[in-house]
Amino acid sequence: MKTIKRKKAMSIILASILSISLTACGSGGTDSGTAAGGDSKGGKVTLELAISKSSQDSAFIQQDILDAFEKQTNIRVNLQLIPAEQTTTVLQTKLAVDETPDIIQYNLASAVTDLNLERNFEILDNEPWASRIVNKDVLSSGGHLYSFHVSQDTGMQGVVYNKQIFEELGLSIPTNYEEFLAICEKIKASGITPVFMPYKDAWAANIWPAAAFADFVAKNDPTFFDELNSNKKKWSDIPEFKTFLEQQYEVYTKGYTNTDVLSDSYDMAVGKFLNKEVAMMFMGDWLIEGVAEQDPNMELGVFPIPSSDNASLGASPLGGQLFIPKKSKHLDEAKQFLDYIASKDVAQQIVDSKGYVSNFSDVTTPELPAYKQDIVDNYITPKKTVLTTDAYMLVDRSELYRLLQDQFAGGLSPEEVLKSWDEKFSQLMQDKGVEGF
Amino acid sequence: MKRTKNLYSYYMIFPALIIYSIFFVVPALAAFYYSFTDWRLDRLELKFIGWDNFEKIFSDKTLILALKNTAIFAIVTVVGKNVIGLLLAVGLNMRLRTKNLLRAIFYSPSILSILVISILFTPMLRTEGTINNLLESVGLHSLSQAWLTNPSIVIWTIAIVSIWQSAGFQMAIYLAGLQSISQEYYEAAKIDGASSWRSFFKITLPLLLPAININLMLTLIGGLKVFSEVYVMTGGGPGNASQVVGTIILRSFGEGNWGLGTAVNTLLFVVVTIIAIPLLIFMRRKEVTE
Repeated sequence: MKTIKRKKAMSIILASILSISLTACGSGGTDSGTAAGGDSKGGKVTLELAISKSSQDSAFIQQDILDAFEKQTNIRVNLQLIPAEQTTTVLQTKLAVDETPDIIQYNLASAVTDLNLERNFEILDNEPWASRIVNKDVLSSGGHLYSFHVSQDTGMQGVVYNKQIFEELGLSIPTNYEEFLAICEKIKASGITPVFMPYKDAWAANIWPAAAFADFVAKNDPTFFDELNSNKKKWSDIPEFKTFLEQQYEVYTKGYTNTDVLSDSYDMAVGKFLNKEVAMMFMGDWLIEGVAEQDPNMELGVFPIPSSDNASLGASPLGGQLFIPKKSKHLDEAKQFLDYIASKDVAQQIVDSKGYVSNFSDVTTPELPAYKQDIVDNYITPKKTVLTTDAYMLVDRSELYRLLQDQFAGGLSPEEVLKSWDEKFSQLMQDKGVEGF
Repeated sequence: MKRTKNLYSYYMIFPALIIYSIFFVVPALAAFYYSFTDWRLDRLELKFIGWDNFEKIFSDKTLILALKNTAIFAIVTVVGKNVIGLLLAVGLNMRLRTKNLLRAIFYSPSILSILVISILFTPMLRTEGTINNLLESVGLHSLSQAWLTNPSIVIWTIAIVSIWQSAGFQMAIYLAGLQSISQEYYEAAKIDGASSWRSFFKITLPLLLPAININLMLTLIGGLKVFSEVYVMTGGGPGNASQVVGTIILRSFGEGNWGLGTAVNTLLFVVVTIIAIPLLIFMRRKEVTE
């Protein structure tokens, strides 16, 4: 008798818990549904701005700018923060299912391939601010303006070096490969590791080749990349490319680097510089910022990859631009947001606070940190920079990075690296449907 | 004889069956279809290309290497996990005072997340890492290796880490199996003068077949589907030396070649099915029921 009563009570309790949880889930669902459809709230427009979590300190999404914008235009900007490793996949999916955000912050060069720039994004040639842009190249693809940024500072790639160690050992910046090996020898003799190579992160192995190839092409074969991208030439066609790959590997075989090249990773770099364990690294100048944050007394600089005589400094394609997807539901409001940031006062405010090199004709460049000023004086102003290979690529380069790793594992010769990359490159271009492949 | 009437009608299965169909069967069938197309990230039109994707799998150097690595990994881990698990179970089933403590110790790695273990082992396996330092300190300097950067041994290294993590779990299943074997058999065998080896092979193993069955299934399927360990410890590297089917699928999707990735996945499904189902049937039949 008792057990039957207990069973009845239990079943009633369970059933009620079940129904309560179902209704709770149900109402929860409808709540989030109405929140997503921003403009149902009586006329106020909400813009969705999608950005990777790793770019959280981007100037464009600082709360004070968003608040001021909302006050002025009654348009609210809602941030969609995407975890860094998933950014590309999430954005690709959103664009594919037409659930597009109104504004996206991404890198132009990768957006061409990852997000199918031409198909998905608005051309911004005729925007009111477009005429005030000084350097249109860093925002354009295929001759049209697709993105927006207040800076033309593209992040330089070369040999990041510790100025203090160079001073102590009486070394000057090498202008060719032999001089570079000589200073490596001197640094090694003093007990410091000359170059840090974190090639567990395969992309780091491409800094030297990307800059070296681009520098050579700019000086000797300016139409090479166009011909490469239309299948009229191949990577293996230029014998100097083989030499450049040999050079980078030679630095390792001569013992001028850390021993565990393939197990050391990029996140160890800042620490190595701080401990004065290494003097140089083939990297971009963003590393200098990272080290300076931890120890403002460290003096780092950057010089061009010394693959040829008097090489130019590699300029990486600019990152962190704002894009507007064609399928955005609030195109006008999104363009208004760009207008707002482009306005003289706001742009000046951003450029000053971040120390950017201004890309607007009426916005002045503020005083820059020493290493940046060096770069502007010694390389940007005298036009001794060259866009690295990455700027000309239409396909994903991960396989090239892996082939470089293979070279360092002792498995492939430079010819084999170039040959295998040629095969993979043609196949990727063919898959993408590029003409000529 | 009166047939026992089913207590519940067959219609009770329907809700679960419908959910299962929508969320598992339909996507799987869709995946089969996509394997035969050129499904890509950046194209809206889908073209049926027949066996092209599969031809590519068997002609591309890296994809063949991935298949080879997956096979090596599966075989090494199946053998390693089961043999070590069985030895541990037999050993810890005997009368030992520290039996329970030892069982807990050997079982504990399998509770840890494989991701955490992979992250912990990665720095330990560096050329100047803990493992090599340990070997050198006892004078076994010649055994120290470039565990994760030597292309010819990297997949074996990852397999060993996987065995370390999981052998305790196999041990637990075997222990359960061992304890269900009635002592009477052993006593009878002893009386008849059987050696311990004989009784192991003639009594223990046959009666352990259900446990062996389960373990074989788990380790084989787990080994063929490996992903986390490889991705965390080497990312498929150095170069492409430790790519397995799981990481190749990730790479294909990353490159935008979704059709190829789905085709590799379909291939994995077919291989696992071809190996697992006959094995299951075979073992079922051989199971001795009391």
